Amino acid sequence: MTDYWANKLVFELQGPDGKDQWTNHRADVIARYPLSPEIRQAFLDDDIGTLLPVINPYLMRFFLLMLGYDDAKSMAVLESFQTEEERKRVNG
Amino acid sequence: MAKLVGSFAASHAPNIARSWDTMKDETREWLTTRYDELGKRVKALEPDVLVIHSNDHWINFFLENMPAFLIGVGEEHDGPPEPFMQPIFKGCTFPGHPALGSHLLEYAMDADFDPAYSHRIKVDHGIGIPLWRMGFDTLPPVVPVFLNLMEEPFPTPKRCLAWGHMIRDAIEAYPEDLRVVVMGTGGMSHSIGETTQGWIDEPFDHACMELFKTASDEKIAFELARMLKETGNGGAEVRSWSIAHGAAGGKGFEMIDYIPMPETLIGCGLAEWKFAA
Repeated sequence: MTDYWANKLVFELQGPDGKDQWTNHRADVIARYPLSPEIRQAFLDDDIGTLLPVINPYLMRFFLLMLGYDDAKSMAVLESFQTEEERKRVNG
Repeated sequence: MAKLVGSFAASHAPNIARSWDTMKDETREWLTTRYDELGKRVKALEPDVLVIHSNDHWINFFLENMPAFLIGVGEEHDGPPEPFMQPIFKGCTFPGHPALGSHLLEYAMDADFDPAYSHRIKVDHGIGIPLWRMGFDTLPPVVPVFLNLMEEPFPTPKRCLAWGHMIRDAIEAYPEDLRVVVMGTGGMSHSIGETTQGWIDEPFDHACMELFKTASDEKIAFELARMLKETGNGGAEVRSWSIAHGAAGGKGFEMIDYIPMPETLIGCGLAEWKFAA
């Protein structure tokens, strides 16, 4: 289910000062968006598991890079939420 | 009259630019030689205009407004704004071809396709990376065409094939003598920002190549619609290849090369649809 405001927040972090804003003023950034309490907390906690179902995957890719996760770490984090069906699909 | 002189497809992964200086030498060598070959083939056709199909990557559009198809009809287009593209295209603009762009738009409307349009669009890495690696001394004017492959629902493979056929008809109905090359960029298989990120689905990629080589439009549309449900989300970009295939009249497919490329997270492929002399 797409969460418009959660995606909007990540989308707007793509701006030139996005990383600085997120690193140094995260609570202020989050306060600009009418997020549900659960999503607000997930952003504060880097709770990827809660954000994953509601953030567009390409924005999630950007978000993880912005958090400083390289490809290997991004994949490891995302893989930790794989279902058994997804695991079987990837592994053939 | 304008003439469609070539149809091509190529991958466009961000890591090709982001990791260019740090990737393995053999990866850089593979990319250099294959995109050089692509560029050589395109340049040999002496195109006056490139009509390049790609998907936007959350650069121009957001959930407020998500066109299924959009044609860039401007005099010029803004260059890629992504930070990893700045060393290549910082401050660049790309020349457009407003007359052909507007003609494609009007032709598409008359053919019941109803695309959106833009007089000033940002050309992101989806178009920027193939243009960069093909190495034009002077870039021909570009008519960018975007299709939504970011947030579902996406145009169906059937619709993309039909769009490709329509684009060919539209080009050949343009009254000025122009040599036009069509490209579709993106793919092949990849998985981005989802739990299977990094998955390169080689069976999917080889099945796509076989379809483009041998299958009818009906079969391609049916099989792609089925296969895309089972592969990583980035496989959706093979729809751009379907457009190039449709523009070529559904024949002449030839892979330039393909390799699963974990460093760029994609099945990296380049192809030409050979036109009869």
